[in-house]
Amino acid sequence: MKAIAAIFFALISFKALAHPVMYQGGWALNSTNMSQYSNNYALYSFTNRFAAGFEHDRFDKINLGILKVNSLLWRDNGEDHQANVYLHSGIGFQDERKNPLVNFGLEGDWENRTLYTSLKHMQFENFSVSQGRVGISPAKAPFENLQTWFMVQAMVIHNVEDRVMITPMLRFFYQNVLWEMGSSTRGDWMLNLMVHY
Amino acid sequence: MKLLFLAILFSLPAFAGETTIHVKGMVCSMCAQGITKKFKAAGVDEVHVNLDEKVVHLKGKDMTDEEITKLITEAGYNVAEITRK
Repeated sequence: MKAIAAIFFALISFKALAHPVMYQGGWALNSTNMSQYSNNYALYSFTNRFAAGFEHDRFDKINLGILKVNSLLWRDNGEDHQANVYLHSGIGFQDERKNPLVNFGLEGDWENRTLYTSLKHMQFENFSVSQGRVGISPAKAPFENLQTWFMVQAMVIHNVEDRVMITPMLRFFYQNVLWEMGSSTRGDWMLNLMVHY
Repeated sequence: MKLLFLAILFSLPAFAGETTIHVKGMVCSMCAQGITKKFKAAGVDEVHVNLDEKVVHLKGKDMTDEEITKLITEAGYNVAEITRK
């Protein structure tokens, strides 16, 4: 029942996701929810190399509200693949703390139509988060059709919960909507919903 | 009479044929969605993306190579080739 409520909440509350920077004039909305971690953001891409917006993060019991600026540092548009390196930066507030906090991060990905890999590290003042993903798609679906991916995520929240959380998941793409559902090896659910406008 | 014919011919709007753009880096639905949105906003009636062949087909509006390249670049990708028929 809890899981159904969580899915319903995610579906009605967020139309989401997105890459850190999208096409010029594009909106990216994202909602990622796990028991120890959640991430919700709205970003607008002013150019294809620069986006800004607002993000809310929860790491266990720590809550952050951050004004974000993301930059595409490098992109390789190959014949059959795409690779990117992004810089995350932000300034915001953490719970009851009075002084603003600064946040930086680096993210890289490489993908083609059947393989996806990404690495991300976000540095906050008193903790950091490392995340890696690998995914495969069994078939090359046309743009108009539903695409399915099998994906595994490894994530560590350093100085908060130092254990590696391994989360196998299913990723689905349908045009501008992406959603993911998984459960960690410890039995924690994960839901992610993303939309590009 | 010849002059009249030529005057009518050149006063007609240009025929908007089909343009095919070969795009580098277009590997996912979200890439295709961004490109589609850019061309629709530019007034192109029909935009069809073929991810297998990595091409975008446009119908309904004639655009120059520069205009097409600008939109593809703004979407974050590279033009490999533009062909028309």
